[in-house]
Amino acid sequence: MLDVRFSASSLPASGALALLVAEGAAPSGLWQAADAATGGAISRGFASADFTGKEGTTCSILAPGGGLNRIVAAGLGKDGEISERRLEDAGGALAAALAREATVSLATDGLSGAQAAHVALGAVLRAYRFDIYRTKEKPEDKPKFAGLTVLTTDAAGANAAWAKAQAVARGIFIARDLASEPPNILTPIEMSNRIEKLSALGLAVEVLTPEDMTRLGFGALLGVAQGSANPARTVIMRWDGGRAGEAPLAFVGKGVTFDTGGISIKPAAGMEDMKWDMAGAAAVTGLMASLAVRRAPVNAVGLVGLVENMPGSNAQRPGDVVKSYSGQTIEVLNTDAEGRLVLADVLWYCQEKFAPRFMVDLATLTGAIIISLGHEHAGLFSNDDDLAAKLTAAGLASGERLWRMPMGKEYDKQIKSDIADMKNIGGRPGGSITAAQFIARFVNDKKWAHLDIAGTAWATKDHPTVPKGATGFGVRLLDRLISDHFET
Amino acid sequence: MIRVALTGHVEGDWPLALPVRLGASPPDFVTAAAADDFSGLPDTICDIFGGARRILLLGIGSTPDEQIMEGAGAKAAARTLQSSRLAIDLRGLRRRDAIACLTGAVTRAWRYDRLRTIRQEDAPKLTDVSAVTDDSDLGKRWARELAVLEALEFARDLVTEPSNTLTPCEFVARLEQIATGGLTLEVLRGDGLRRAGLAGLLAVGGGSANPPALAVLRWPGTIDAPPVAFVGKGITFDTGGISIKPADGMWDMRADMAGAAACAGAMMALSRRASPAPAIAVLALAENAVSEAAYRPSDVLRHANGTTVEVVDTDAEGRLVLMDALGMAVREKPLAIVDLATLTGSVVTALGHHMAGVFSNDDALAAAVSAAGAAVGELLWQLPIDESHRRALDSDIADLRHCSPERGQPDACHAAAFLREFVGGVPWAHLDIAGVETIAEADDRHAAGATGFGVRLLDRLVRDRFEDPGRL
Repeated sequence: MLDVRFSASSLPASGALALLVAEGAAPSGLWQAADAATGGAISRGFASADFTGKEGTTCSILAPGGGLNRIVAAGLGKDGEISERRLEDAGGALAAALAREATVSLATDGLSGAQAAHVALGAVLRAYRFDIYRTKEKPEDKPKFAGLTVLTTDAAGANAAWAKAQAVARGIFIARDLASEPPNILTPIEMSNRIEKLSALGLAVEVLTPEDMTRLGFGALLGVAQGSANPARTVIMRWDGGRAGEAPLAFVGKGVTFDTGGISIKPAAGMEDMKWDMAGAAAVTGLMASLAVRRAPVNAVGLVGLVENMPGSNAQRPGDVVKSYSGQTIEVLNTDAEGRLVLADVLWYCQEKFAPRFMVDLATLTGAIIISLGHEHAGLFSNDDDLAAKLTAAGLASGERLWRMPMGKEYDKQIKSDIADMKNIGGRPGGSITAAQFIARFVNDKKWAHLDIAGTAWATKDHPTVPKGATGFGVRLLDRLISDHFET
Repeated sequence: MIRVALTGHVEGDWPLALPVRLGASPPDFVTAAAADDFSGLPDTICDIFGGARRILLLGIGSTPDEQIMEGAGAKAAARTLQSSRLAIDLRGLRRRDAIACLTGAVTRAWRYDRLRTIRQEDAPKLTDVSAVTDDSDLGKRWARELAVLEALEFARDLVTEPSNTLTPCEFVARLEQIATGGLTLEVLRGDGLRRAGLAGLLAVGGGSANPPALAVLRWPGTIDAPPVAFVGKGITFDTGGISIKPADGMWDMRADMAGAAACAGAMMALSRRASPAPAIAVLALAENAVSEAAYRPSDVLRHANGTTVEVVDTDAEGRLVLMDALGMAVREKPLAIVDLATLTGSVVTALGHHMAGVFSNDDALAAAVSAAGAAVGELLWQLPIDESHRRALDSDIADLRHCSPERGQPDACHAAAFLREFVGGVPWAHLDIAGVETIAEADDRHAAGATGFGVRLLDRLVRDRFEDPGRL
């Protein structure tokens, strides 16, 4: 992770300088000082590039003088409309523009310490890179950006805000790393092992093996797993930072470490994307880690169902009927609708074992949600309007946006089975809704929300605070939900 | 449409439907109800044969609302389609519940059999409903509702009619038939379309031997205010054009004019019930055919307002005719625009067959439209238009392209983002009604076939939102 320090406001004598510019705002003290030290290079550079501080724009001035390598300015948009999101986006834009610089000083005079920390968070999130499998990268192709010194007049405020922001960033990076790992490396057992290592942060981790799950009767989850040579795991993380005895919040993730579709096999084109079919589980893991790192005053449990969906010689077949942990029977008509089978057992187990205040599940569940909403909103389904409203608000605040989708008995009829309690597909019409209806049958009428993140877990191009690749979607959103509403 | 007669007493030996509140089965039928586990729960029915007449107990629960009552009325009709007559005892019901019950019976009994020449043994026979009431003012209220139901039937018949007879030209002829009593019709064709610069309609309709037309219905109302505008997609048949559709299911494309039919039906309803609200409907009528003169993927069209549009897929024709119709509606400086279109398969993937999608640039209008839909049982769910949806329409050579060439995309959102470019600043709601314009299988509540989705919704929207001069 990019090394971030906060220090007193004074102009650096070398390296790179980053500036933040709001449209219509008067130049800050450091800006003026830097302009003077460089003989007016900043004023001239901005004028010749028509840079006025518009949102989403940057201006780069090379070798401006005054001993500096480079000055980069990022626009904050209109003065007076500066939000957390804009600060983070500007930080991200700076990180992208400063990839060639090893050390950067960022002028934030005029902003509060907390605002400065948001800029730093944006930079850190954008500077993320998953490069452990690159062995031949030339030094000149590697980003050099490693240290960010934030010049602030409010170092105490900045450090306090940063402690929390950094914890979330760590959680996001854990989630991104997990989702980025290739599926031959990140099997259910490997992912389970990595989660167990997080106990060093203070999480209590418990692992259910196939033998445990057989004994319990996780027939739906095990049915998916039986086609793979890599055995399944269910992993339970506990963070008890709240009042002793208070019921926890529960987060449940779909963790299909690779999804071939099973016997209902997927087309070859694009199948490589299925390595991140465990992004829901990764987000739950990242969230739990961030709660532990920041010692959040809340009780929470995170459960992930980890399986690989392969067309092995013992794979389940379309037409199989499995008995879920809840006792309900499921006719499996399409083995590629496996995520809901995994969630079914883990959700029922979760509500039975922990009696949580609510459950939120995250899953890269349906292609239909992409056809419904695209890539800027994840689908939100819930049986509780209050929880749904809180999640929607947390999404707006964190930039991980949700769009509520409908549920209802008319949709539920689409998963009626001729021979079992239900079937695992409801047809193309309302495909994401019928998936949610299926999952709803395994929450035992407890407060619950389901986030279909199939369209938001992976970015095919760079965004201000999310480089191309695994997004870690869900960690920030749920951390925000907790810190806004559920901390003691 | 079946005939409905209001009467003060139960006649003859007609099957008699009795709405029953929870736990309140009539004394004469308590034993039969108990034997059938009937307690009066909503959406249940107890069908009692063997007495002097057939009795249908209709469960309406302890707090009936209009949707429950419509369901009860529909169920009574569904179960008695083989009888020629049905009596419904409305005594003791609130007026609006009585109206809803009759509405349910009439809408469920709709059928389209004018093309059948061979008599079928099991064809529905229900022709008459006798509504037993002691409410002397029910007749006036019913007359208003009847106007809406006749308009609904007009729309359903249009949606059902095959495309070899219901061409754009014939669609106009049907509009001429309803343009009476103050409702006026203006039609642009050929040179008129060219002079108005309606490039989308001309391109889409240009491949067909049946030429396109733009029809404008106007209802003056009595309130001195700008009109509310309805805009309808009226593709009388959609082959997909050069980007031709697969053969399987193509027959359903005769209903691709359901948006225009709903708008026309709504205008008919407003005029027949003499709504005080001024309204217009702009209907884009064309056949999307394959021919030597058909428009092509990669053609660039120029909208009347100067915007250039690159055509990506000729089967996304609805948004091209709508951009022109929306432009014409904007010229009328309306209070609001509501467009209806069977626009995308994507909305069916998103919402299935139980709800239509609504997209809007105005939260208050979206809420009003959704509330109107909920009141009449035509459900809407709002879907987003975000930045990425608009960016997906960036074109390499024109101001925008009309859809994204990639597969698996949120095409309903893209289409809405496209249409938004042509509504100026007017409050606007776009109803993507693909998936709800017809129903595949009949059930107790719905007849199979055309639903007329939108007619009642728009009528209700006007009634609740645009008929109070103080609120405009």
